[in-house]
Parts: sequence; structure tokens; C-alpha cells
Amino acid sequence: MIEVEHLSKVYGSTTALQDVTFAAQPGEILGLLGPNGAGKTTTMRILAGYLPATKGTAHIAGFEVHEHLMAVRQRIGYLPEVPPLYPQMTVEGYLHFVGRLKGLSAGDRPQRVRWALEQCNLKDVQKTLIHKLSKGFRQRVGIAQAIVHNPPAIILDEPTIGLDPRQIIDVRNLIKTLAEDKTVILSTHILPEVSMTCQRVAIINYGKVVATSPLADLKAQQTDQLTYELDVQGTINTVEQCLQTVEGVLTWRWLPVQSSDRRKVRVTCNPDAQVGSQLTHRLVHAGVAMHEMRRLGTSLEEIYLELTTQEMDTSDADPSTDTEDTP
Amino acid sequence: MILIFNNIVAIFRKELQGYFKSSLAYVIAGVFWLLACSLFVSEVQLWTAQKTAGQVVDIPQESLKSFLSGMWWLVMFIMPSLSMGLYAEERRHRTLELLATSPITNWAVALGKLLAVWTLFMTLMVPVGVFEILFLSHADPPITAGIFIVGHLGLFLLAAAILSLGLFISSLADSSILAIILTYALILILSLLFLLGERWGEPWVAIFDQLSLVKHYVTLTQGVLDMSSVILFASYIVLGLFLTAQSIDLLRFQRR
Repeated sequence: MIEVEHLSKVYGSTTALQDVTFAAQPGEILGLLGPNGAGKTTTMRILAGYLPATKGTAHIAGFEVHEHLMAVRQRIGYLPEVPPLYPQMTVEGYLHFVGRLKGLSAGDRPQRVRWALEQCNLKDVQKTLIHKLSKGFRQRVGIAQAIVHNPPAIILDEPTIGLDPRQIIDVRNLIKTLAEDKTVILSTHILPEVSMTCQRVAIINYGKVVATSPLADLKAQQTDQLTYELDVQGTINTVEQCLQTVEGVLTWRWLPVQSSDRRKVRVTCNPDAQVGSQLTHRLVHAGVAMHEMRRLGTSLEEIYLELTTQEMDTSDADPSTDTEDTP
Repeated sequence: MILIFNNIVAIFRKELQGYFKSSLAYVIAGVFWLLACSLFVSEVQLWTAQKTAGQVVDIPQESLKSFLSGMWWLVMFIMPSLSMGLYAEERRHRTLELLATSPITNWAVALGKLLAVWTLFMTLMVPVGVFEILFLSHADPPITAGIFIVGHLGLFLLAAAILSLGLFISSLADSSILAIILTYALILILSLLFLLGERWGEPWVAIFDQLSLVKHYVTLTQGVLDMSSVILFASYIVLGLFLTAQSIDLLRFQRR
């Protein structure tokens, strides 16, 4: 439904997007994830027909955005980062205006506006002037304008930004409902947003897609190492001697000290080795009191940080500043 | 084609409704009516005084011509205040992105906006026109309909040309205040081009006379339906629309 192939965008001497490729199918919610300035908004603007790409193609509902601009614009619903609202209009009047712009017929418009108002829980404020609405309601009006013409593809730039927790849950549920028969692409900085809303994720960094796959696959790809966090009571030397003798321990890192005699250490191991039981055994026999031993799962935050800092790490790495120890 | 027409109507209605909900528009209307009616009455009094002084004067006709000529300054003063927010407000509210991602061309948006603000001007002229008709209906000698119609056609064309150029300036400016200042400057330059021509001599006299808004407007207020004047105003209107569409299109290529 949405297919992006080798998309590039250059502003003067700045490359905002470089060879971006991904696809999203009907019924799917794809999360675009990336740090500020990574190229998420540029990608969305190209898909929405606002910006022309320098190279590459993007198809929405079978139409190429550069060749069939008007056909694409009729088939997408787009919520920019700042909802495009006219403060002096009522909510209902605004949605009628957008419906007209998007080509809804006079016969269909009232029904579609009613539907959008209901979907976004705006019935109670439909006669209210937009400038009198709270930020949360304005955001919902922004989403309502993106869906009023029933487009097959919906593009949402930071749809939950500035909302309170209750409103965030409502908007997430709304997006999931919409995605039952539509393709939804959303960008966000909020990582749990992706976990809770999206089936797939495309991580963009420095204008390049560094990962695109279902969330579960992405997590699986990153589990080539196993990490334990230990809360121990004993001397650093004793603990480190134990760690050095356990086969499969790759590196460890001391966390900031909690108290004078208790410390936390994060141990990275080879996942194939049976490190956990050996580690416990050695430490206990060495007289180290163990208050907690926790196996850390690979969170989306860790994956995100790993993928988006790889490039910086490789260019900026300085062996003299490495704080990790190895056996 | 139907979609484009519907979109122009959608923009037209949105803009017009916006004006009628704006307190600034009512203030502008009040000032316009006060100044226009005062101008008309003062012109009639002026020409009546001249006749009283013994000159042979067709008071209704001369009053109307002088009034329409004087309306030039009023239109130049008022129109930029109507056009200043046409795009500047869209930029302020970040709604250009909505228009630019809807199935509507920049031309259609610009045309819808221009038609709306021009309609507002013509609405402003209705009470003034009624005032004129009431005043002139009992005139002796009776007023020639041609002068009345052609003179007002010139006024409407002048307003449309200024609004179209103001629309373009508004598309360039981030703030309404900057838009109104730049529009005043542009209109003043285009109006007084003939003075520059007179200073520089031939061939500039002929060229600047042809481009001057004032010269062509005065021709029409005399009741002379000069097609070159009509074409000049139409050219300014189309030029304003074209430049507006282009400047809005250029925004897409800027990184923001």
C-alpha cells in the first residue's frame, strides 16, 4: 500500500534522506523512529506530497507521489507535527472545510464529518471554536482532519505529542482501530509508543534507514549477547576474579555505587554458554553476598540506542576512554 | 475540473466567512464607508461651490469623476490591509501544509483567496454605491450611465490588481505587518511610475505610462472604456496570482 524505494532528499549541500527504502501493507502500523533531524518528517512530507524527493520513488495506493500528485493527495490523510488548524473556525466547520478540500461530495460530507467526530471523541466540542480547545482536543481535531475523507493511507507525525496519559491511550486505540483496514505510518520520539502501537518499525538515523522489520524480529536480531545485572556485596577484586574465571563472560561494567559495600555490575556474556549458574556458584563460594541477579531483556530503547549510535561510535571511538573491562 | 472548482469555492467560502467573523474587517469597513461617503459629499460641495462662483459646470458628472479619482487613494490605503493576512495567517497557523497536501493547486488556492477578498471589497462598495445612486438619481443634468459603469469598473479592476499584488506579498511575508508595509511600497512604486518616466525622458515616459496604475485608472474614471487599461489591470491580476502560486510552490523546496 505504501512503498518507498531508494528515496533521497538533498537540500543544497545537506543530505536529509539517503536511499530510504521500506514498505507498509494495509492493516499495518509502521513506526518511523529516529532522533531529531534524522529525516522522519522529511520522509513523511514526501509521502504526503508536500515535498518532492531528489531521487527515488514512493507509491501510495498504487500511485507514484511525483507522477500522480493529486491522486495521492486524495488518498492520504496527513497530520503534521503541528496540527494545521484555523483557530476562528468551529471544529465541525473546519472538518467540513477539509472534507470539501479533499473532494468529498456534498452528499457524503455530513456523514463523514459525523464519523470523524465520533471516532475522535469530538462530538461534545463540535460547535466550539478551535482556539478555545485544549492542546489534547486540538491534536484530536488534527487526527480527525486526517481521516475525514476515509483515506486508505494515514501519515501521522508525532500524533501523541503533548497529550496527557489518558489522551495518549485514546489516540493509540484510535490509531489501532483505523489500521484495521488502512495503512498507517507514524513517527514518534516516544519509544513505548512504538511498542504499544506499531507492528513494524523503521529506524532512521542520519537520513538512512538503519533497521526495518517487525518489532519481534528486531528484538531477536539483537540478542546475540546476554546481559546480567548483579547486586553484590563484596570487594571489587574478589568479584572481578570470579568473573575472569567464568567461561562465556565477555565484558562487565560497574554501575554507579549504591552504598559503600554494595555494588552493581552489568555482565555481558555469550548467550550459548551456561553462564548464569556458574556465575552464582563462583561468587557464593568466594564469599560474595548476592542480593539480586537479573537477566536483562533487550528493550526497544537499547536497540534504538545501539542502532542510532553505531555510526557515532565507529567514528568517535577512542580506546583510551573505554570504561569496560574484559577478562 | 469539478474538484478544482469545488476547491476554489471551499477556499472562497472559508476566507469570506473568516472576514465576517473578524472584528478587524468591521473596523476597516467602518473606516472605508466613512471616508468614501465623506469624499463623495465633499466633491459634490466643491463642484457646487464652483458653479455658484459662476463657472459652467456639470456638477453630477464632475463630482462623480473627482470622487472616483479620489477613491484611488482610499483603495490604495484600504486594500493592503485586507490582503495582508491572506497567506501570512496561513503561515502563522501552519495551515499551508494542509493546503499543500490536499488535492488543490496553488493557483486554485490563490484564486479562491483573491475572489473572496475582492468580493469583500465589492460588498464594502454596496452602501457607497447606494449612496451615490441616491445622490445622483435626482441630478440635473442627469448622469451618463456609461461614465458611472466604466468608472466603477475601473475602481473594481484597480482594487483587484492591488489585492492580487498584495496576495503575492502576503505569500512572501511571515507577518501581516511586514506584508502591509511591502504592499504599500509596491503599489506606490507602480502608481507613481509615470513620474519616474517624466524625469528620465523618452523612451521611459511611454513605457512607465503603460505600466502606471494611476494613469490607466484615471482613463477609466473619465468614462473611457480603454481596452489597454482593462488589459493592464487584468495583467497585474494574473501576474499577482502567478507569482503567488510560484512563491508558495517554492516554500516546498525550503528546509524548515
